[in-house]
Amino acid sequence: MNHSIARLTWVNVRKDLRLEWRSRDVLNSMLFFALLVVVIFSFAFDPSVEESRRMAGGLFWTAFLFSTVMALNQSWARELRNGVLDAYRVSPSPSEALFLGKVIGNFLLVLLLECLMAPLFVIFYNLSSVGPVWQLGVVFLLGTWALVVNGTFFAAMSIRTRNRELMLPLLLLPISIPAVASMVLATTNVLTGESSPVLQMKFLAVYCVVFTTACFLLFDTVLNAE
Amino acid sequence: MKSKLFFLWSLITVGLLAYAVYEAAFVAPMEATMFDAQRIFYYHVPAAATAFSLFIVNCIASIIYLATRSQWADALAVTGAEVGVVFCGVVLITGPIWARYAWGTFWVWDARLTTTLLLWLLYVSYLILRRSSEAGSTSVLAASLAIFASLDIPIVYMSNRWFRTNHPQPVIFNDGLDPKMKLILMWNVFAFMALGILIAWFRYDLERLAQSINAAHIRKAARGGFAALLPGMFLFQVSGHWPPIRYFHAGAIAAWAIYLGYILILFRKFAGLKKEEAELRG
Repeated sequence: MNHSIARLTWVNVRKDLRLEWRSRDVLNSMLFFALLVVVIFSFAFDPSVEESRRMAGGLFWTAFLFSTVMALNQSWARELRNGVLDAYRVSPSPSEALFLGKVIGNFLLVLLLECLMAPLFVIFYNLSSVGPVWQLGVVFLLGTWALVVNGTFFAAMSIRTRNRELMLPLLLLPISIPAVASMVLATTNVLTGESSPVLQMKFLAVYCVVFTTACFLLFDTVLNAE
Repeated sequence: MKSKLFFLWSLITVGLLAYAVYEAAFVAPMEATMFDAQRIFYYHVPAAATAFSLFIVNCIASIIYLATRSQWADALAVTGAEVGVVFCGVVLITGPIWARYAWGTFWVWDARLTTTLLLWLLYVSYLILRRSSEAGSTSVLAASLAIFASLDIPIVYMSNRWFRTNHPQPVIFNDGLDPKMKLILMWNVFAFMALGILIAWFRYDLERLAQSINAAHIRKAARGGFAALLPGMFLFQVSGHWPPIRYFHAGAIAAWAIYLGYILILFRKFAGLKKEEAELRG
């Protein structure tokens, strides 16, 4: 059997997705939560078409930030039952594979959620993009990766604290503020078509590279922190 | 703690502070447009310099801790973060008081302001993590977070420079500072740095004491007490025509309240630890 990191990662991803597919715990609650946020926002703001173009980026990413936090809390909590996490720690498989597997699993999950929720946003806020839509795709991929990679790392950190679920947003939000700011700005730029989002995209890419590297270097330390 | 060196340093600090604060309040020349309100600057800039230095200490100490796992590095990291948050709090309180007079508004989303606020938020989250993580893993988790925080700061600063360029820049360093002002500013930076070192020294000894009697359950000093000062800002909101000296007084009072309040908290904590140590011995 081939024990390369890529293969071990793939095993982890498949296991996570299969578990999720069978229970659909996280996806269902995330989906419903995001839906509620969309509805509450549209009650709270009730914008015109022009206004909603300006606001949608902010609303969209706020909704996703919060539902991502929900999903990430669950992703490690699942490993605590029956001491699965301790089994990982004593197993010879590299912890990077475990981390990368979790990140990819969560990334796919959040991406699925975004694909399901985006049409709802379009309907509720009467959205139409002035700028090219494919740029939104790039912003979404980069933005989701930025949220998920840090989120998975800090979720692994926060399950080691006393108030697990509470801790994740407290750690994740301050670190993510620059990423969220540029995602929102890029989305707004595409929707209004007023300026080019390329600078923010580059910035997001840099952010992703820096923090993915940092997560990989430090994950082993955090997993084995005693 | 009771060493002669510490006592000597306290004397030096008090002397420096007395001289610098007096110079700032009464001797420094009046600024042409902002009058007395500009004197807040002598509290604001030294606090910022001290806070940034302490955060750098936190980052370096965290890296040393991860590499060597030595307890002193961990104690130094807590010290850097906690005392840094206090000084950063002074920056964030005195800044808006000055800005209210000079810019007419408490806050603008300028690169420096945003970075400082983010810095403060990041290190508060660091301190919260330290408080609530399980005893054995606290130091490692906190050190990892500290590295993330120090990666975030340049990114925040750059992002703000790129994205928000149309906001007013801080006016201080644009045109050369009056040499007399600069001299007094330097004295104040020295004095408040000395105060920062003194407080950090005290805090570090406390942490070492806490480590040595293994009192992990000791409550971390209550931070964020200065949030109680925030409602006071609404007073400014009501009357916009106060003389500039009042802004200076407000800034000075806020700064000293935070410094002295924090020192008081540290003394209380010190007394508690000493009592506990005595109980353990007896």
